[in-house]
Amino acid sequence: MAQNFDVCVVGAGPGGYVAAIRSAQQGLKTCIIEREYMGGVCLNVGCIPSKAMISAGHFLHRLEHDAKEMGFNIKGEVSVDMKQMQKWKQSVCDRMAGGVEQLLKGNTVTIIRGEATFKSATELTVKGKDGTDTVTAKNFIVATGSRPIQIPGFEFDEKTVMSSTGGLALSDAPKSLIVIGGGYIGLEIGSMLAKFGTKVTVVEAAKGLLVGLADPEAVQVVARRLKKNGVEVITEAKAKSYKKSGNGVEVTVDVQGKEQVLKAEKILVTVGRKPNSDQMNLKGVGLQIDERGFIKVNAQRRTNLPNIFAIGDIAGQPMLAHKASHEGVLVAEVIAGKNRVYDAKTVPAVIFVDPEIASAGMTEDEAKAAGYKELKIGKFPFAANGRAVSIMETDGFVKVIADAKTHVVLGVHIVGPEASNLISEAVLAIEMGARIEDLALTIHPHPTLGETMMEAAEAALGHAIHIIQKPLTAKKTPEVQR
Amino acid sequence: MASKNIQLPELGEGVTEGELVSWLVKPGDKIEPDQAIAEMMTDKATVEVPSPSAGVVKELKFKEGEVVEVGQVMIVIDTDGATAAAAAPAAKASAPAKTSAPPPATMHAAVAQQPATASAPANRNQPSANGMEVYPPPAGAKVLATPATRRLAREMNVDINQVHGSGVAGRVTRDDIAGGNGAGATSAGTPVIARGQIPRPAYNGPTGAAEERVPLKGIRKKIAENMQLYKQIIPHFTLADEANVTSLVAMREELKASGVKITYLPFVMKALIATMREFPQFNASIDDAAQEIVYKKYFNLGFAADTPNGLLVPVIKNADQKTTNQLSQEITELATKARDGKLALDEMKGATITVTNIGSVGGTYATPIINHPEVAILGMYKIVDKPVIKNGELDVIKSMNFTITADHRLIDGAVAARFMKSFIAKIENPGALMLEMM
Repeated sequence: MAQNFDVCVVGAGPGGYVAAIRSAQQGLKTCIIEREYMGGVCLNVGCIPSKAMISAGHFLHRLEHDAKEMGFNIKGEVSVDMKQMQKWKQSVCDRMAGGVEQLLKGNTVTIIRGEATFKSATELTVKGKDGTDTVTAKNFIVATGSRPIQIPGFEFDEKTVMSSTGGLALSDAPKSLIVIGGGYIGLEIGSMLAKFGTKVTVVEAAKGLLVGLADPEAVQVVARRLKKNGVEVITEAKAKSYKKSGNGVEVTVDVQGKEQVLKAEKILVTVGRKPNSDQMNLKGVGLQIDERGFIKVNAQRRTNLPNIFAIGDIAGQPMLAHKASHEGVLVAEVIAGKNRVYDAKTVPAVIFVDPEIASAGMTEDEAKAAGYKELKIGKFPFAANGRAVSIMETDGFVKVIADAKTHVVLGVHIVGPEASNLISEAVLAIEMGARIEDLALTIHPHPTLGETMMEAAEAALGHAIHIIQKPLTAKKTPEVQR
Repeated sequence: MASKNIQLPELGEGVTEGELVSWLVKPGDKIEPDQAIAEMMTDKATVEVPSPSAGVVKELKFKEGEVVEVGQVMIVIDTDGATAAAAAPAAKASAPAKTSAPPPATMHAAVAQQPATASAPANRNQPSANGMEVYPPPAGAKVLATPATRRLAREMNVDINQVHGSGVAGRVTRDDIAGGNGAGATSAGTPVIARGQIPRPAYNGPTGAAEERVPLKGIRKKIAENMQLYKQIIPHFTLADEANVTSLVAMREELKASGVKITYLPFVMKALIATMREFPQFNASIDDAAQEIVYKKYFNLGFAADTPNGLLVPVIKNADQKTTNQLSQEITELATKARDGKLALDEMKGATITVTNIGSVGGTYATPIINHPEVAILGMYKIVDKPVIKNGELDVIKSMNFTITADHRLIDGAVAARFMKSFIAKIENPGALMLEMM
């Protein structure tokens, strides 16, 4: 039996479910089609479970390293029950995914479970457990996301050769692991497992880690910490092939032209993600897809077929959940007849390595490339922040980059404790077109990590309080005559 | 129930909005095509807005005194009551009424008017034919404006990339979009002055004082806004002098005796044009946006007219190409129209300089405000008998005071003094002035 809707959203990830809720909020008859899980990759095998596992690793690390100095005497070794940890992690995911389903139902969105395929630009067939259904709609929102890239010779079995999904579902920490790809997902999972005792080796094709993803100085801080935590990094290296040997694997790696064999129990392949644009018969109904596999969209996220929109990972970089959600709201409002356009100045990016990296806006190089000839740059270390010292997390800094002419904030880069939570202030500053004075003159509560933002802004102006910036050029205070 | 939205039609070139002075219909009224439904005040003229269709008034979307943008829905009518034949061709409306759909980017009121409820419009915000472009285009990376301001610009159909921000570091403020010049901010030649920069203090009189409050609206409101804007943009200065107009008075008396009725204003205009030819910076404008001075090769003379509704400034186009007598006739015509409130918008636009003849009412000198984008205004005052010593003897002359008020950015004090000297030489010697006349 065909069902008809004003809006049909395909994919219930952070883009799709947000789009469905906002559509329904505006009185549009809305359905959402999901083939796997409510909340998509993000809530089930991505953002949320990885953060649960990373928090657990961080907790263990602190018990082992900081507790004693703080005055805790732990008798014997802290033992880890990974099976219980997986249960706990799953409860976190289930709770979030259940919340999404409730929100959809509460907003009277019709949930259809199954695999959707376009029959024409106005009609979908949905293959579900109980047979095939037809859905017609005035507008479609394609939010079907992306999946891990598989490299030839390293097909995922999620036991020996794992994608991020398998890497987050381990009920025992492997003794050793080779991570192919030193991007943010590989480093997040790799450094998490290192804390549970896994000997981790990262194989990265580029000259460094997180190239193009983060401020180079921030990456240095993370690289030092990886080394300290026993993670080995091999750069300019390409994994060629692997074979099973005993309980593990032998991976042949080309390191700057020389072959090398690395042994480990398991392999994690994290070389990126690719959009799911080869599915759903998208090309078959005439949707234009670019050479990287993204559906071509305009500033309203409308495709070349006027009644079909695309959002999230499938609609272009950056492939981040919060970008998808923003686009979900945007598209739902465009469909409701409002004039909306994607004109956000920046999409913040957070990398949950240790310590965390977070950034908004441009790096120094990007600012220069964009034509800002002179920059004002202020850096403030967490080591000079009272709160950072009191939680024993003093590695890292906040860096504020501004246009020297107008003092308008162009970029903020944080590496350090709670960088992920601190970056939102910087995003707001950039969206509002704030100048460094605006950050410096805003009273930040003491003692908090957030004070570093104010101090970095002051540093950009040349006069931070809690660091000595340069030799005092002011007049010498005359000595008191005795 | 078929209902139809009636939008504010185009009211003239460059006019983007108008103030609703009064409704001429009320809900329940039956209206005919071309019937005036409202009185709108634009720039300085009040015009009547005709209905393009017949029907019964269902809803009035604005209150009197509110500003309506061109294209906004003013009124909703129910067309069932009217016969189909009564629907008027749009072209018949005296103002070119626009009956087509509003521009693709919906404005404020239009959105409020048409919320997408149960049934979704399938093709709103349809991309343009040449691809997937969106209007207005998204804000560029270097546009400095808050997300809320960017959205406001979009909803008002303003391309924020074209707006000159008045804030620190070129920030586009809410007032740059919604303030003084509104959506017109992007149209060429319109200065972008943020209304928000002008303080708007409240006035609270003593409790129980005998005071009456009336809304500041209509032409009075427009005058208030314009004067404030012009005074804010232009650094004014005024130079005053007196002229011996004995010969001019004698000439006019002669003409009068021979049956020609003429005022002094056309003669003053002729002398002014001759002087402006010598001093072209008085017949100019400053394009602040482009940072350029615009010298005009044509002479359109505005003259201030006191009317029951307030100050109006009719314009005589190409005054340099008209005879004194033609000027005189045109002045009379325009002044009559002004008094009767019948001036067309076009008859009040495009002046290159203005003359104010406040002396016909009274006063020895005044300091008028320049009608931006003009850069000068000439004041003429009443003629009085004045004793002078001439060749050691007491003589009585006809004396007339003049002021020239100029934009000090463009015109130096000494230049204004030389301008005045040259002007007075001409007005004191109408015979010589004849040589320059057409």
